[in-house]
Amino acid sequence: MTAVAERRTAPQFSTVTRLRGWFRNPWGKPRFLVLVTWAYILWSIVPVLIAVQFSFNATRSRTIWDSFSTRWYWGDPVDSVWHDPTLRHALVQTFKLAGADVLIAVPLGVLLALGLARWHGRGSGASNFIMLFPLVTPEIVMGVSLLLVFSELFTFIHTGTLAQILGHVTFSISFVVVIVRGRLFSIGRQYEEAAADLGASPFVALTRVLLPLLTPAIVASAAVVFAISADDFVISQWLSKGGDTDTVPIRIYSATRAAPLPSVNAIATIMLVSTLLIVTLGFLAWRFLTRGERGQKSDDLGALGL
Amino acid sequence: MYRRWLWPGFAFPGILWLILLFVVPFYAVVGVAFGTVDPILLQPVPIWNPLDWNVGWLNEVLHRLAPGGIWFDVGIRTIVYVALSLALCLVIGYPVAYYAARHAGRLKGLILILIILPLWISYMMRMLAWVNLLQTDGYVNRFLTFTHVLSQPRDWLAGSSSTVIFALVYGYIPYLILPLFASLDRIDRSHLEAARDLGASPWQAFRTVTLPLSKIGILGGAVLITLPMFGDYYTPNIVSQSPQTSMIGNQIDLYFHGGPQPTIGAALTFVLAGFLTLLMAYYMWSIHRAQQDVGAVGAL
Amino acid sequence: MTLHPKERPDDFTRRDFLLRTAGAATLVSGAGGILAACSSSTTAEGTTAASGEPLGPGGLPLARPDKRVTMPLWEDPIASGLEPETGGTFTVFNYPDYLYKKLLRDFGKKYGVDTAYTAFDNINSGVRRLASGAVEVDVTNMTPDLLDLVVAGKLIKPLNLDYIPNLKKNVWPELVSPFYDADSHYTVPYTTYATGIAWRNDKVKEDIAAMPQPWDIFWQAEAYKGKVALLSENRETIGSALLRKGHTDINTEDPKLVNQAVADLKQLYDICNIKVGDVQYQAVPEGTSWLNQAWSGDMIAGYIYYLPKGTPGSVLSYWKAEKGKVPVQNDCFCVAAATKKPVLSHLFLNYLLDNGVAYSNFVNFNGYQPPLNEIDPESLVKDGVVPENLANSVLTNDDFGPDSLQYMTLTAKGQALWEDGYSDFLAGGKT
Repeated sequence: MTAVAERRTAPQFSTVTRLRGWFRNPWGKPRFLVLVTWAYILWSIVPVLIAVQFSFNATRSRTIWDSFSTRWYWGDPVDSVWHDPTLRHALVQTFKLAGADVLIAVPLGVLLALGLARWHGRGSGASNFIMLFPLVTPEIVMGVSLLLVFSELFTFIHTGTLAQILGHVTFSISFVVVIVRGRLFSIGRQYEEAAADLGASPFVALTRVLLPLLTPAIVASAAVVFAISADDFVISQWLSKGGDTDTVPIRIYSATRAAPLPSVNAIATIMLVSTLLIVTLGFLAWRFLTRGERGQKSDDLGALGL
Repeated sequence: MYRRWLWPGFAFPGILWLILLFVVPFYAVVGVAFGTVDPILLQPVPIWNPLDWNVGWLNEVLHRLAPGGIWFDVGIRTIVYVALSLALCLVIGYPVAYYAARHAGRLKGLILILIILPLWISYMMRMLAWVNLLQTDGYVNRFLTFTHVLSQPRDWLAGSSSTVIFALVYGYIPYLILPLFASLDRIDRSHLEAARDLGASPWQAFRTVTLPLSKIGILGGAVLITLPMFGDYYTPNIVSQSPQTSMIGNQIDLYFHGGPQPTIGAALTFVLAGFLTLLMAYYMWSIHRAQQDVGAVGAL
Repeated sequence: MTLHPKERPDDFTRRDFLLRTAGAATLVSGAGGILAACSSSTTAEGTTAASGEPLGPGGLPLARPDKRVTMPLWEDPIASGLEPETGGTFTVFNYPDYLYKKLLRDFGKKYGVDTAYTAFDNINSGVRRLASGAVEVDVTNMTPDLLDLVVAGKLIKPLNLDYIPNLKKNVWPELVSPFYDADSHYTVPYTTYATGIAWRNDKVKEDIAAMPQPWDIFWQAEAYKGKVALLSENRETIGSALLRKGHTDINTEDPKLVNQAVADLKQLYDICNIKVGDVQYQAVPEGTSWLNQAWSGDMIAGYIYYLPKGTPGSVLSYWKAEKGKVPVQNDCFCVAAATKKPVLSHLFLNYLLDNGVAYSNFVNFNGYQPPLNEIDPESLVKDGVVPENLANSVLTNDDFGPDSLQYMTLTAKGQALWEDGYSDFLAGGKT
């Protein structure tokens, strides 16, 4: 008589043992962390989505949903973003400042990044320090100091759009430097040296070899500068002269302290979409421009200098 | 290959800009803080020469911040708010960063995007979102009464410290998670494997390997959020307009309102900047020490 | 110093620290030597008259409702009977959104000039821009507490009242020759407002107007914790505590009084979780705040613009004290010294005081009440501009006079006292 092979079954562990194994597995996925992470992500993003939703509310309540309407964007003849001059001008001013900020801060920052990364002579340490400081200075300190310098020293500059642009560029340069410098480190000197070996002059090496390689970082830093300029509140407020020079964050701030109409949600949503669009474009441009480099173990965040 | 002056030359415009519009303005604050007020033009008169400085305003500010002074409470309150907010940010943010860095697997890219997303959302909009949610008839109250956690709606915006701390945490936590994530992402799995091979339990491995190696990330994130938080004045203004939750930034804001003593505002700014410099020095020293620890572990 | 409602810190930025006083400034001595030996004082000094009274710039005494001041003429006013200038651009210098632009355009069409509107977000930066020549304007808004400053600085022209018959014809008698500018040498009044209490009568059950001291309501507001607010301006806030105790000198510089007022205000932390802000015109109609110190125009504006649908206007209530116990204020219009169209400027000032023009400005745009005889509470209620329950928000001539209260210029020492007192209150400390 042939004995039937014993069927192998999985060992029957008790629930407690299995749970313990669950927790003890160092390479498994700890449920607690999963929960916390997703809870955080929801907590972080859902309120903003609700705010976006209420910008389409048909009534003026920002707590009780009625029905969908674009009233606050262009429908309402008095209070919509399209018809209310204070909101419209705030949008215009925000884009103006952000645009000017990108156009000035990015070139300055790229040059500064190149200079600081490659310069090892005297003064480079101090320059590096000066560049890093704005990143950790509280904005109110920067706002006070800029206001005072414009009233006491550089008195030909009055509060207003020019002062705001100058302030924005000042805190933006450091971000550009950090991003571009990271990219410089991951590129290294190899390509320029290869170009030199092949007979390129320094100018050609810079413009036709290095610059194109830096383009992803330049594009990314432009997107970042746009985002932080559009988000800026303190510097814009301290250097504003009221009226048309108030930006969207300033309007949101004033309104939120009173009782904002959903038109404030609308203007915030417009800025949100614009910023996300530009950041996404910047990110996609980065990905596209570095497409040849995938496969290397590229430490993207390290490239950001973190 | 390149001329020696090329790189300093490139750096020059940016450094010049930063000197003129960052360093010099600091000195303008100092000049005004140690200056006088012109009786005829009725404006602050900065004094640039340190030998002629008038320390009256600085003395007044320090006197007010000292125990018994009118600003002692608000100074302590600001420190408490920042400390509590930092602690909460770490308690919430560390697990999130840890998960994203070490366990996310296939979802890592998605989770990273979702974590970075708030950085691109305007701070004001995020505060606006919560102010709407925290209204008496807003979603928070409706949810809490629906689930019977609360028996009746609570007024969250009535000037309470917990709402301010909550708002600070919500506002600043993305800036903590990112450097934490970066630092945790870089930790080599082999260190952890080695620890486990040597018999450490998961918790011990975490405590003796992961935590020290992530210290740089923790410190970097802490710098990134606490220093700006000390100057925050708009967050208490948004979620609570009560003097009992005001921070030291509100006082600076007050004295630049057009009163006769902008010099006090400048002196307070100077003191705040000095305090933050000390804090910064402490951070840098801690990072330096943490780097030595990393070096020690890396030598394994 | 005195805050204009258009300078609400919440709405606009007033990032200028030009002293808002015509009084002497804080003089701090700074001797040489090393830091330790540096003199260290924040004491105030000022110019004083022989009688010991503090003076403003130009040597003028500080004006008070019961101390009339006549402004000296630094040049002769223009001659009478001249033809108005035409062509070019006529520019008004004012707070933003404070004048109905349609009225300005109509004026320009009538006299054949282009019109322009330049805004300043606070009166101090406006004065500064006038002084530095950064703006070229024809007429400008002005607040009475800065009058000696701009006269001493020769920034405004003396008026020839022959061109402004509406002043004596239409304007309240008390403001035709106000105490701060006797015989109206330089100014004509523009809008008026008073400070009182606004509340939602469906939430706050007390009959505030019937209380022996209505300001006490704040100190009895335990039931409304978190829904009570004072104005976030040092004069008004500390002033309310002074008035509550019956002290009617709201321009006092007595440290004992001010410090006691601040101590009283600090009681409010625990009583009702007091807040500060300037958004009552919106918050009270919306119901996010129930009991507020407020300006008289706030509830009118709230009724007209900010009442949510479904909320009846009858829930809004306002109270202000009777004359001698209520702080009133007004601002003015003046002719800029640098104007190239002096005659037209005079005519514009007259235009502003026309009954129809001022009414349209008030009702269609501004929300702030002009001091004209024809605009009185009854007619406003009849026209439906103001609901019956807010009729007392409307000011009358009787609210002004030598025994009225008006926040005016202080010496720099006095200003520092009030500012520091408010700073103490704002710090929220227990000490």
